[in-house]
Amino acid sequence: MSYEELSHTADVKIRACAPTPDALFGEACMALMQVIYGGDRRGGTKSVIDLSAPDQESLLCDFLSEVLYVTEVEGLVFWHAEIHTEGLHLHAVLDGEPFDPVRHNKGTEVKGISYSGMSIKKDAKGYMLDILFDV
Amino acid sequence: MLDGVMRAGTDEWEIPIGFVPGMRVPGRFFLSDALMAILEPGAVQQLANVATLPGIIRSSLGMPDIHWGYGFPIGGVAAFSLDEGVISPGGVGFDINCGVRLFTTPLTQGDIKKPREFIESLYQAVPTGVGAKSSVKVSPAALTAMMEKGARWAVDSGYGVERDLARCEDGGCMKQADIRAVSAKARARGIPQGGTLGSGNHFLEIQVVSEIYDETAATAFGLQKGQICCMIHCGSRGLGHQVCTDHLKTLEEATKKYHITLPDRQLACAPIQSPEGIAYFGAMAASANYAWANRQLIMHAARLQFERMFGIGYESMPLVYDVTHNVAKIEEHTVDGHTRKVCVHRKGATRSFGPGCADLPGDLAQIGQPVIIPGSMGTSSFVLKGTATAMERTFGSTCHGSGRVMSRSQAKKRMTGKEVADHLLALGIIVRAPNEAAIADEAPEVYKPSSEVVQVVHDVGLSALVARLSPLGVIKG
Repeated sequence: MSYEELSHTADVKIRACAPTPDALFGEACMALMQVIYGGDRRGGTKSVIDLSAPDQESLLCDFLSEVLYVTEVEGLVFWHAEIHTEGLHLHAVLDGEPFDPVRHNKGTEVKGISYSGMSIKKDAKGYMLDILFDV
Repeated sequence: MLDGVMRAGTDEWEIPIGFVPGMRVPGRFFLSDALMAILEPGAVQQLANVATLPGIIRSSLGMPDIHWGYGFPIGGVAAFSLDEGVISPGGVGFDINCGVRLFTTPLTQGDIKKPREFIESLYQAVPTGVGAKSSVKVSPAALTAMMEKGARWAVDSGYGVERDLARCEDGGCMKQADIRAVSAKARARGIPQGGTLGSGNHFLEIQVVSEIYDETAATAFGLQKGQICCMIHCGSRGLGHQVCTDHLKTLEEATKKYHITLPDRQLACAPIQSPEGIAYFGAMAASANYAWANRQLIMHAARLQFERMFGIGYESMPLVYDVTHNVAKIEEHTVDGHTRKVCVHRKGATRSFGPGCADLPGDLAQIGQPVIIPGSMGTSSFVLKGTATAMERTFGSTCHGSGRVMSRSQAKKRMTGKEVADHLLALGIIVRAPNEAAIADEAPEVYKPSSEVVQVVHDVGLSALVARLSPLGVIKG
């Protein structure tokens, strides 16, 4: 995995790195799942998300907010996210499994995705994201 | 000291206009020198950012548990003019009406012969942690009633007694709730979670009153030394989180529409009286009501366990009070010598209404509002009373807790959950949680000492100490 938890006193700050923006969004999604459920997650059940937003940061924030909704209401825990963005439209296919109270109780609920401190940067190695999850 | 921050008195500091561009008023916060030494620059920056918002009155305020959050700092308070001011979800938070309630019992510590068994029974009775579903069947109609009536819905449905309502802020119901502004998504999240505790820093704790500082107020609040009490800390669950997420989007558009310049997107806002502002306020109030109903359901489940284990009557476990610490409210305050209605945002801050204020139940009118300040897992919680000073200086507000000083990642590296639990057990405190990480995350060392924080609010006069409560057992999500 290419994301890590940075030090933040109140909430969870994540740094993710990836070669493309699509892969970066996927890493952010997996970081979110890791924070909520821990590392023992499997595939088998698909879920699709389609959305548009006015800018790239909003696209990411809206996507992760939608993942929070889907995981809670559909009771699905995801281990992989395949993302395709075209301009400011996102199509995501999430692969996961039904929530298991024994295997998936290793994390903490995320209440929301914050714009505070969010940054997406590009350098020679690829893309880097800093993002804050309110827990 | 942080560059640009000035001392304004003992335990009092000012962030002058100009600290960040566009400040309309200064920032002001309350910290002892010891707490000042560990203040994060990010929290000061956020307090200054709030001072840029249109219609802010007098100053952007920080309580002594101030720390770095998103949008407003946690521990932030700001009042806005109803005519020129704005309302912002960044000044309330995702967990709308996260709050605390405390009820007492006729038991003393010696009555709890099997504490581990009792904590386990509470853990089984209150759905806790990630993915927990309620045992209370909430129909769509019941959800509507929860959002419109708050704690009243729970009491009318048999989950409490009439007296409980008088011991909640606003009687446990914000009348401005507008369920039309609550999305289908938020409703879908709210239905299965009524009566669930959640995770993170939410808890249910069994405590003993270990010290009384103010006999008169303690007697009025129903507190005696040696008495067993139960404290519940949680909020509006996924419903409130979704309401915040939904309205942040519409308010971000509104920010552009009304030509408001912001230093942080998370401060997205709209004029209080605009359609967007009114819609957010109505949805926020509906979420606040859901949270009061939720805490009422959890208290009911805990009271039943006390009844079952100790044979005490439901009516012998009165609610001391229920406070909200993430909310925006329309309140009357004195501004420039005149009584005015203003919109007070409290983000990780507690209302601290002094003697004689409206909304206090008759038997507490001359004492002041009970202010309940939870400690961390291993440290004391406190009951204080609201003061006239808070009314004059902080729009009737005080601190809400201890305030974190260590990140979750640092906490996990420092001690395992088992080590924390063993350490607490040696102090006589039983911890029950679904996983070890939840315990390590919330170890006592990750918070400022609660006693230092409440001492500052007591010394400054933002609330006055009434009683100390020591933890005996806690369930966490």
